[in-house]
Amino acid sequence: MDEATTPGRKSNLTGSARKLKDNAADWHNLILKWDRLSDEGSTVATKIVNFRLSKESLKDPEVMMEGESLSAAPAERSAYQSNPELEEECIKLQNVVDKMANILSKMEKMVSAEKGICELETFQYGEKGRPTPLFQTWSTRQFAEVSSGLYEAYKQELALKRTILREVAHTTNPDLCMVYLTCWLYQPYIQDNTKLLLESLLMETGFRAV
Amino acid sequence: MSQPALLQFHQELRKCFQSLKANQTVWNGVLEECTPLLSSLGNLAEQLRALKSVEIANTPLSTFPNLPERLQHKLLNAVDTVLGELSEKVNALDLMRASVCKQVAAVFQMYEQNSELLPISTCVARCALSPSIADMLEWLQDTERYYRMQCIQRKNLLQLLKPDDLTLLETAPKRWTSLDSPRGEDRISGALFQVSFFMASD
Repeated sequence: MDEATTPGRKSNLTGSARKLKDNAADWHNLILKWDRLSDEGSTVATKIVNFRLSKESLKDPEVMMEGESLSAAPAERSAYQSNPELEEECIKLQNVVDKMANILSKMEKMVSAEKGICELETFQYGEKGRPTPLFQTWSTRQFAEVSSGLYEAYKQELALKRTILREVAHTTNPDLCMVYLTCWLYQPYIQDNTKLLLESLLMETGFRAV
Repeated sequence: MSQPALLQFHQELRKCFQSLKANQTVWNGVLEECTPLLSSLGNLAEQLRALKSVEIANTPLSTFPNLPERLQHKLLNAVDTVLGELSEKVNALDLMRASVCKQVAAVFQMYEQNSELLPISTCVARCALSPSIADMLEWLQDTERYYRMQCIQRKNLLQLLKPDDLTLLETAPKRWTSLDSPRGEDRISGALFQVSFFMASD
């Protein structure tokens, strides 16, 4: 029972409180990193779409003839492959998504660590948990809930970005391309309340002034 | 006898043109700040249009829950933000318009109060260094009218824009640009050129 229970004394937090506070800082940093990557990816994805669309408009007559001759298909395929510029952008986008996946796996670890902290607490204090909160008002379980809430949002977002990565360079429908870009840019699964959760977490752990 | 009144009135005119000059720079600055806002508005409209025309259920995105609704929500929020920023800009323009109106009104009031001391012959007299009072009053009035029209037209356009009216949103950047009046701006600059010696001759 060596956890410091006073939120004011930042330097000598230990045990669960130390871990939760470090996690809160990690959440903040990981999300910042995520946002930077998302911006970077947005630029790349826009390039890919522009590239595809400008190509598509050139290829329009060929597409019209496609029904008549079967030879059009391989010709089109070779056009894809002999396109180092497009490929390069796709690799860049792939890298961005890989880095995001890396961030998500760190998030996942935090979620499981906090679950562990909750279990430890149940073991130490029984079902009711510790009698006084570690920081201001939140119970330890609330930390775990916030973490998993944040994690779920980013998980869904990564799945969406993976789908975009897979499809964006193969889409001929300009409207769908636009929707992909909108998805990438506006991150529909990260809502205002996601940001609110993060801010509350930072406030609870004392990173933000109450 | 009318000399002091004339000098005083000239002074008032100088003051008014001086602030008109400062105003013109700020006015153009604010208008320039509106351009990127309008283009992002057009962009958002385009994205909303694309979202509307794509059947998400028939795309690789079909597995994502409530995706169209969520995207629509995000985009409409963004439209709201841009419209809010634009209306701040237009309010700033309107404040400038109000200050021009006030100053021009003050000049005219002074003229009316001193009209007996400023006979027609004085008012239409001009020299190499100074345009006539009549000309200057006309330019002031033209400028005021120009700013008034600009504000009304731009405010009107902004009031028409609603997040759910895509056609209007899409055409907004064009309509906004069509309100630009290089001729009106040129006339203000022209007037300011014509009074430059007058303003320098304190």
